[in-house]
Amino acid sequence: MYIYLPIAEVSMHIGIVIGLGGGVGFLSGLFGVGGGFLMTPLLIFFGIPPAVAVATEANQIVASSVSGVLAHMRRGNVDFKMGAILMLGGVIGSSLGVVLFSFLRSIGQIDLVIKLSYVVFLGIIGALMLVESLRTMMRSRKPGAVRGKLHQHNWLHGLPFKMRFRRSKLYISAILPLAIGAFVGVLAAIMGVGGGFIMVPAMIYLLGMPTSVVVGTSLFQIIFVTANVTLLQSIQTQTVDFVLAGLLLFGAVIGAQFGSRAGAVLRGEQLRGLLALMVLAVCVKIGYDLVVRPEDLFSVELLK
Amino acid sequence: MIRQRLTSLIIAAACLMPSLVAHAGPERLVADLSNDQVAITSSYHGTELLLFGAFEGQDNDDVVLVVSGPPTKLAHRRSDKVAGIWVNVETNIWQNTPGFYHIFSTRPLAEIASPAVLAKAQLGPAALSLEYVSQAKDANSGNGHGGSNAGASNGPAKAATPAMINDLGRNMTDIGLWAERSDGVSIQRNTLFRATLYLPKNVPPGDYEVRVVHFRDGQVMSQQTTDMTVARKGFSAMVYDFAHKYSMLYGIFAVVFAVFAGWLAAVAFRRK
Repeated sequence: MYIYLPIAEVSMHIGIVIGLGGGVGFLSGLFGVGGGFLMTPLLIFFGIPPAVAVATEANQIVASSVSGVLAHMRRGNVDFKMGAILMLGGVIGSSLGVVLFSFLRSIGQIDLVIKLSYVVFLGIIGALMLVESLRTMMRSRKPGAVRGKLHQHNWLHGLPFKMRFRRSKLYISAILPLAIGAFVGVLAAIMGVGGGFIMVPAMIYLLGMPTSVVVGTSLFQIIFVTANVTLLQSIQTQTVDFVLAGLLLFGAVIGAQFGSRAGAVLRGEQLRGLLALMVLAVCVKIGYDLVVRPEDLFSVELLK
Repeated sequence: MIRQRLTSLIIAAACLMPSLVAHAGPERLVADLSNDQVAITSSYHGTELLLFGAFEGQDNDDVVLVVSGPPTKLAHRRSDKVAGIWVNVETNIWQNTPGFYHIFSTRPLAEIASPAVLAKAQLGPAALSLEYVSQAKDANSGNGHGGSNAGASNGPAKAATPAMINDLGRNMTDIGLWAERSDGVSIQRNTLFRATLYLPKNVPPGDYEVRVVHFRDGQVMSQQTTDMTVARKGFSAMVYDFAHKYSMLYGIFAVVFAVFAGWLAAVAFRRK
């Protein structure tokens, strides 16, 4: 059974849409990630216009982040104060991102920028994760290895506007989380992702937050960033397809349940290693498409 | 089932022929299509239509059928290798170009009539007198690229060359919106003609024109036009209108819907 997606203006088999949601949902449940970095390229691959894929995926991530954050809230793993600062930056950044997106689209370079962003950021994050998980695996075989300091003080801690974040046990400048939030917000708007894969390492390594609160806090701020992108894209470009988002979500909710159960049987560093390989695979695939000569040097796009 | 109904329609049209020929003067051609109100509903996945009709023909006559869609603004881009990766280096904006253009004929157009006759009859992409505006500067024009005003450097509209129309036509054909089928029209007993039109899943909604031209010895004998509309209907029309007319409300709705769906999922699958 095919369904005509009213905003994307293409029809897709309903089984493919729900299957995509389920597959990506399974992986996101398994690895504890949002999955936007997989879903957006897959939607584009299946013929959804890039602008619609990016905006619709933002809409879907609102839902998956809400359901994710509720579990973390129950366990008290959300630093709301830190989340609010990150969110403020994120809303500013994603607003800029939507404007930048429209501009790049108007000059015909949005596909290129989306692809380049994927290659650069997935490449960096994937490589770092792979190295980290391999190190952990090696270290766990050598008992008695010394663990490093939780976080080191550097010039970033000398910035003004210091604030106390009780839940994260931090006393740092508000400028830092604001800037991180803004930077990830821009990427979220352009790449059609929540940005957790950059936000989480940034929270651990740049802000020095305890790992117990990073995922919950990241999800909390992603809700607002992606809600902002959904709203702004709806107003500016009318590219949010909530029929598509709803169907993907339906599949993702079910897939994530199976994924999180499957994830329970694997060790943390093994999961991170596998996630790193998957991130790198997406990076290589998109990178390959950029270097290989296209079948047709010309392409056409119907404008509104 | 549709085929049977169409066949009976053709027969009905054929029965009408003598009276038409007798009273309609120069109008010796009648054409119709199986559905002139195509609805894009939630279950739309492309559709097939039958174009058919009757004419007063002789052996070796030709019939050409043109289905052209709403005038559309297109961006046609050329990519080139820049620093090792393939980048769009040139964009031409085509105004008032048919977003859908399927042409069917009994033989290749070049065998049916001379280019001059075809151009006069406005048949074939080459006869459309298309125009384009060069938008982004070419990468090797010296201006570089990525400048903030690259999108604003609109020049005057220029007539498209046959080579450019050919490049555009190839891309439009790849996505199913343009087509040229030189064996697309079949004629029976020199009186009935028919062609099958496939509307792809990405068909642009709007007003369509179906034109039938009857050729004999390279000259136009008669022609007829009929209208067809492709429109969103039902739920998909509702969502589209909502998103475009009340876009802020739509955005708020999309967010509220997602928050509710996320909450529902969390409650439904809450671990005990």
